[in-house]
Amino acid sequence: MNVYDKNFKFHRRLFLSGMAATAASLAFAPLRSQAYTETLDFGNGTRELLAYPQKRPLMLITARPPHLETPFSVFNEGALTPNDAFFVRYHLPNFPTSIDAGQHRLKITGLVNKPLSLSLQELKALGEPVEIVAVNQCAGNSRGFSSPRVFGAQLGNGSMGNARWTGIPLKTVLGHAGVRGGAKQVTLRGLDRPVLPGTPEFVKAIDIDLALSAGPLIAWAMNGTDIPFLNGYPIKLVIPGYFGSYWVKHLSEINVIDHEFDGYFMKSAYRLPDNDCQCVSAGTIPDKTRPIAQLKVRSFITNLHSGETVRAGHTISLQGIAFDSGSGISSVEISDDGGQHWQAARLGKDLGNYSFREWCTAWKPQTPGKAELQVRARNRLGEGQPAVSLWNPGGYAHNSIETLSILVV
Amino acid sequence: MKPFFANTAVLLALCGYAAYAASEPLSIKLPAETTKLRPSDLPGYTLATQKCAICHSVDYIEYQPPGMSETQWTAEVRKMQQAYAAPLNEDDIKQIGAYLAASYSGTAAPPTGLQASPAPSTRGETITDVKTLLAQNACLSCHAIEQKIVGPSYRDVATRYKDDPKAVDILADRLGKGSTGQWGDIPMPPFPALKPEELKSLAVFVLGQGRQAQ
Repeated sequence: MNVYDKNFKFHRRLFLSGMAATAASLAFAPLRSQAYTETLDFGNGTRELLAYPQKRPLMLITARPPHLETPFSVFNEGALTPNDAFFVRYHLPNFPTSIDAGQHRLKITGLVNKPLSLSLQELKALGEPVEIVAVNQCAGNSRGFSSPRVFGAQLGNGSMGNARWTGIPLKTVLGHAGVRGGAKQVTLRGLDRPVLPGTPEFVKAIDIDLALSAGPLIAWAMNGTDIPFLNGYPIKLVIPGYFGSYWVKHLSEINVIDHEFDGYFMKSAYRLPDNDCQCVSAGTIPDKTRPIAQLKVRSFITNLHSGETVRAGHTISLQGIAFDSGSGISSVEISDDGGQHWQAARLGKDLGNYSFREWCTAWKPQTPGKAELQVRARNRLGEGQPAVSLWNPGGYAHNSIETLSILVV
Repeated sequence: MKPFFANTAVLLALCGYAAYAASEPLSIKLPAETTKLRPSDLPGYTLATQKCAICHSVDYIEYQPPGMSETQWTAEVRKMQQAYAAPLNEDDIKQIGAYLAASYSGTAAPPTGLQASPAPSTRGETITDVKTLLAQNACLSCHAIEQKIVGPSYRDVATRYKDDPKAVDILADRLGKGSTGQWGDIPMPPFPALKPEELKSLAVFVLGQGRQAQ
């Protein structure tokens, strides 16, 4: 274990010093340069690295509405994703570029005894703030790996992040408004808007039971400081265990309704096949769909990437992250023989069931040649990851076992 | 910023909300959009430059997967009309689908392509009715008379050029050739199919909105 630990630290330091050098050179370079790109492992996958306000250079997916992806090396820096590296994703082109937090209001309307229009200070005064570490993952994270490919934002694995969120439970706020009998859902909306009159508004909805459960949080801080502008300043809805499309940015309106909301971004977009695997045969259309909801189990190796070379007979450390929708990760395993044999990894510090869970293990590649290095996780419900990618038309909720192609010499 | 603060101070004095005295907006400025559509002689190219960027930067198109068929591209354009209300008729959808399939189904191009000079118009008749011109070219998708939408309001344009004797020529030229950087980073697409007289009619109309509104 001694050798192992030494290796572990050495590797990590080496990696971090490499990162620091990259960041320093970027700081003095022009913001836009063909030299600074990152290439994702699928066709047409080269992305420009570009620094947006309050952000380090991130991978530009789209400029308007903005979509920035976290370079994957960031996930090797630690379990918490730094605010300046956290991915950004908007849906509509008329998004705010100036917000006065002192003037911002959160309105609670609809089926309540007392409609509210809360300033940030009033919101904070409603109760004790709570903190939770939780993963925010875009529904389309890893869409670029869909086979066959599908239209949409062509994402690698970096449209996810893990942060410590501070805020007040949604149920506390709804409690002050007083939810009336017959409430079925709450709709959620922020400050972004369409530009054309016929474009659907970005409004999401969750069932009243979820809204009144302990999970959802109206957050004003991320990793101990204000939420970055592009991540939803000054307040953002956090629904631990749920995909990012529900984590409404610049949250401004919560409406309690007595029916199932049928807006475009619930009824037509962000839907998965309504069956056990949430999948269909590649290229086919599902008969029935349902709104995307909770995260699936995923795991990644963060300190090696495909194409790297390692030496046979030498032990190296592997490390990475795993997460699920909140039951908690129970095991992480690696395999270098195409999944025939699996070796358990040691789980790192537990930051809570909704967080990235770090893991590490020692790996001694034996035979020179090409090794398929795989990682898989299980959660406490016994749910794992499929060996082969499950396909759906939207390219959502990708979670198959990750495989790195490593050359052993 | 200053006038804002002055207004806030008055409000605060009236309402006694001393707690908000320190309040100041957080503002961001985003990098310019630089990706351009891949040039083509196909008619769908001109349509795409005019319609797609109303709602999104065209890097969205640039980064789509290689190998998508014309049927797939056309279905995607149709989705823009049906789901997001893009101002496209069935002919536009087919033309843009054909252009996208021809230009984006092969290998990747560098993210910053050069924009070709669009071909001049070969249409016969000249349209003199400004309302028809505005409607046919979806001008009012991006512009309104009095407020900014994607582009500046016509009133703001008229105000800026009110003392410029060359305003009609300048504006007509920018409408025809497109421009960027005059009113922010979102590019104004070129309208090469419009005849000089039509561009002039539109320029005169826009420049008239300042006086009308006052």
